[in-house]
Amino acid sequence: MRPSFLNIPGTLTLLAVAAAWEASVQSGAVTFEYLPAPSGIIIALVDLVSSGELAANTAHTMRSVLIGWILSIAIGSGLGLLFGLSAFARRYFLASLEVLRPLPAIAFLPVALLLFSFSLTTELIIIVYASVWPMFVNTMGGITNVSSRLHDVSLTLQLSRRRALTKVLIPAAAPAIMVGCRLCMGTALVMAIIAEMIGNPHGLGYAVVSALQAMRPERMFAYVIFVGVLAISLNACLILASRQLLSGHTREVSHHA
Amino acid sequence: MPKRRKSFGFLLSGLPALRGLLPLVLFLATWQAIDPQGSPYFPPPSTWWVSIVTLTKSGRLLPALNATLMTFVLAIAIACVLGGAAGILIGRSPIARRALGPLLEFCRGLPPPVVVPVAVLLLGYVESLKLVIVVLVVVWPILLNTASSTSALSELLLDVSRTLRLSRIATLRKIVLPAAVPAFLVGVRGAVPLAIIITLLVEMITSLPGIGSLIVISQRQFRSSEVYGLLIVAGLIGFFLNSLFIVIEGLLLSRWPPRASYAEGG
Repeated sequence: MRPSFLNIPGTLTLLAVAAAWEASVQSGAVTFEYLPAPSGIIIALVDLVSSGELAANTAHTMRSVLIGWILSIAIGSGLGLLFGLSAFARRYFLASLEVLRPLPAIAFLPVALLLFSFSLTTELIIIVYASVWPMFVNTMGGITNVSSRLHDVSLTLQLSRRRALTKVLIPAAAPAIMVGCRLCMGTALVMAIIAEMIGNPHGLGYAVVSALQAMRPERMFAYVIFVGVLAISLNACLILASRQLLSGHTREVSHHA
Repeated sequence: MPKRRKSFGFLLSGLPALRGLLPLVLFLATWQAIDPQGSPYFPPPSTWWVSIVTLTKSGRLLPALNATLMTFVLAIAIACVLGGAAGILIGRSPIARRALGPLLEFCRGLPPPVVVPVAVLLLGYVESLKLVIVVLVVVWPILLNTASSTSALSELLLDVSRTLRLSRIATLRKIVLPAAVPAFLVGVRGAVPLAIIITLLVEMITSLPGIGSLIVISQRQFRSSEVYGLLIVAGLIGFFLNSLFIVIEGLLLSRWPPRASYAEGG
């Protein structure tokens, strides 16, 4: 829906907020003791980029996110297909999964810490546990919501189960599955940062927390803004990619509940 | 979902069928039966129960549970009021929507956990810290969903209200609210699990009282049965709050049913 040309009022608002922030910190008008000025944040950001620290932390976080994302897509879409295709599985196993779904993934972190201590395994378990759900729900929803007319088409054409799946069901469910992939990436990034804050002292999440503990607010804000930009860029890339892949479909449909 | 439950159970129709719980029950029963006593990492489910009872008797569980639930309820209530009101205001003004758009999208896109250290830095470990953080995280999906549905309101409907000379309040009640409520609820649906996770996260990081800090303390002292027990408590909180939301959502949607053109949120 977003117009393709530059949003001038939006950009002006961002600049005005930054200018007001800078002015109020410089003049001492704000009461927050540790609020850094935007200029200080930019200097800290340049410093983090030139020392290579930002790149190293980003590399660690992105590696965990990508491994977790791929694992979640594999597990989530596999389970989603199984539950989408089999009424038996839905009847006798779905409620067990539905009880686990609202279980806050973060509450698993202490259990994972207990079992695997501070490690990449802990981080990945938390990422995968949380990101499997959007993938699972969207794949299952996509398959179960395929219109009955399409089922009739594959019956009329006497397609084998396998061909009906690959030629009819999966293409029809593709938009929902792509939404699952995108939500899955967002969840993976959030959980990676949470896991790094508490469970695995590396990467961007740990960098933010250790900048706080070292009382270096400029660095902390630089990391926070960078993380925000990273998250939004990843999301935008996936939206673009799914538009390219689904050029025949008209709109995204989410079954995420 | 069987048809015969329709008469009384339409509010519960979003909840899963109970017989599907069998595999989970069997899994836990097997765990209990094998009873890996030797392993400190996999205490059998009966010991989880014992440690929860001990925690309750020592008077540590209930205050923590209360603190966590209070933060959640207050945060969701504040976020609904703020997000709903600001969403309608911003959605009704195309200029405000365009000017604030990038800033709001950044706030929504920012991964929630990084809000925690920022708030800790600026506010310190004060009593209201938990509440402020959770509101700051969950208000955006509610605000943006409400704003986009309000701005998608067709001019034709607003012309109708002008023709009928409806007062501002009547326009809000009869035209804006029916358009905004379904999308607002989509926003709240995303906000509920997020609020639970962030409440627990803040408690874990800051050690402010609550279930989150209780779990971390048990984990640091390697009391594994307590960790598993509290995991179940957290799960029950999540399950209970999500189910409660589904029921409330059903009630509100039967009052303001979604229409095709309004139904798309975010």
